[in-house]
Amino acid sequence: MSLSLGKSADGTRRAPGVRLLRRWPLRRSTTISLLSVLIFLALWQTVPALGLMNARYTSQPSAVAIAFAQMLGEASFYGHAWVSLQEFVLGFVLALAVAVPFGALLGTSRQVRLILDPPLMALYIAPPLVLLPILTIWLGIDMASKVAVVFLGAFFPIIVNTGAGMREADPRLVRAAQSFGAGRLAIFTHVLVPGALPSIAMGVRLAVGRGVLSVVVGELFVSRAGIGHLLQIYGSALRMDRLLVCALVVSAFGYALTQLVRRLEDGLRSWRAEP
Amino acid sequence: MSHIQFRDLSVSYRRPKSDERFLAIDRISLDIERGSFVAVVGSSGCGKSTLLLAAAGLVSLASGRVVIDAAPVTGPGGHAAMVFQDASLLPWRSVLGNVRFGLEMRRWKRDDLTERALRHIRMVGLGDFADYHPHQLSGGMRQRVNIARALAVDPEVLLMDEPFGALDAQTREVMGNELLRIWERDRKTALFVTHDIEEAVFLADKVVVMGRDPGRIKDVVQVDLPRPRSPDMLDSETFVTIRRRLRESLAEDMASLRLVTEGV
Ligand SMILES: Nc1ncnc2c1ncn2[C@@H]1O[C@H](COP(=O)(O)OP(=O)(O)O)[C@@H](O)[C@H]1O
Ligand SMILES: [Mg+2]
Repeated sequence: MSLSLGKSADGTRRAPGVRLLRRWPLRRSTTISLLSVLIFLALWQTVPALGLMNARYTSQPSAVAIAFAQMLGEASFYGHAWVSLQEFVLGFVLALAVAVPFGALLGTSRQVRLILDPPLMALYIAPPLVLLPILTIWLGIDMASKVAVVFLGAFFPIIVNTGAGMREADPRLVRAAQSFGAGRLAIFTHVLVPGALPSIAMGVRLAVGRGVLSVVVGELFVSRAGIGHLLQIYGSALRMDRLLVCALVVSAFGYALTQLVRRLEDGLRSWRAEP
Repeated sequence: MSHIQFRDLSVSYRRPKSDERFLAIDRISLDIERGSFVAVVGSSGCGKSTLLLAAAGLVSLASGRVVIDAAPVTGPGGHAAMVFQDASLLPWRSVLGNVRFGLEMRRWKRDDLTERALRHIRMVGLGDFADYHPHQLSGGMRQRVNIARALAVDPEVLLMDEPFGALDAQTREVMGNELLRIWERDRKTALFVTHDIEEAVFLADKVVVMGRDPGRIKDVVQVDLPRPRSPDMLDSETFVTIRRRLRESLAEDMASLRLVTEGV
């Protein structure tokens, strides 16, 4: 508690006498994360400078920052990012459009479940990247094969979680709806779908991570454009600084999108939150 | 003619993990007069809920029939509305949304839905809570919403399955009084399941005692207490006599149950 900076995590207790820090604007947890990042950056910057490590292999924050600024000035960088973004969005939207309806079918029909569950589970567990060589043979080395692998990566988390969300609908709610004369369709739209939304959103969140991974690995495997392609080029040129910029861009994109979906999820779950 | 008639009613269920079926209730016959309040008591598992589900058209019958208003019950959504124990409100809908839900399912005309729902929400004393969600309400308030939802659809018959079963004793008493106050207004035929003997006698014109293995009616007791009921009747001689008789009927069942469990 000696490090207590203004509001503590629960926002109530204050360390007495720490006047100067009382107006510290960040929460305790945020402060600690921020500090650890700063310390890491400082070490990363100084250790190679002191000659304890070879900057050729580790680069330095300053070098990465400069590389980032340079790349932002290069039209080709945007071209590659645009290709990757298109691949991701196309594959992801397709996955969403197919996986949600099929997930609903899976969650509501026993027969469909009996037929589809075993192959789905097998495919869910095996990474779709296993199919990358096959997809490349079928669809070529350009965008189509990446769209397909994103589709596969995103499809399974969404379908599995949509199905589970519907299957785990509260039978008491279903019965109450029935008692008011709700038919199958009304139960589906008024009970199963709203009840499954948080679970669907969770599937989407997991799918974001898998989708991003799929784009990058797909391009790394074989490609003529995209962030993964850049990684390939900079990798063989030993450009640590630029490789790290690419890594940063990819993870920032994945992180932002995941946070966005998490927000949505929290909104959807708010009716569950205890007061 | 009686408003609700159960005639030789049997309902069977499948035993878990086998194809074998067993009788949850076995040839029950019971008449319920229009505008009367009938309570059903019995140890758990004796088929009280099943009896109500049969009246609501929510289970298929193994034999016999249920007749409401001279018409056999063939499925849900007809004359009866049901109040369940806790947790049957849609958690993502507000109080208003939940009361509207019943009306929407019964296909009431759109324009007066909200108006009608709000009127019933005020009737159960939740006028200030129409925009709250179920998780923001106490157990007693949630059951008020359940009652409002059922009454809003203007059912012929009100079926209540241990509606106060999850409430503490004090709230339960308040809710019982409240239910009677609301019920007195239009005296809809009511079938009320409870495991609380006092509650049954206090509320009902007639108490049905059920026994188990198989589920059947063991006793029917007329409650000749005047209405409106008031808490001081709980000490009246009539009340005490009826309570004793019910307790004895139920005790037999408990005794046989004990023998069964000890024998195993
Ligand atoms: N859907 C069901 N499937 C199989 N058995 C059931 C089902 N519902 C109730 N039962 C069984 O039927 C019997 C009567 O149940 P129920 O009507 O719920 O009794 P009560 O409401 O009096 O406790 C119990 O033994 C119970 O386990
Ligand atoms: Mg029951």
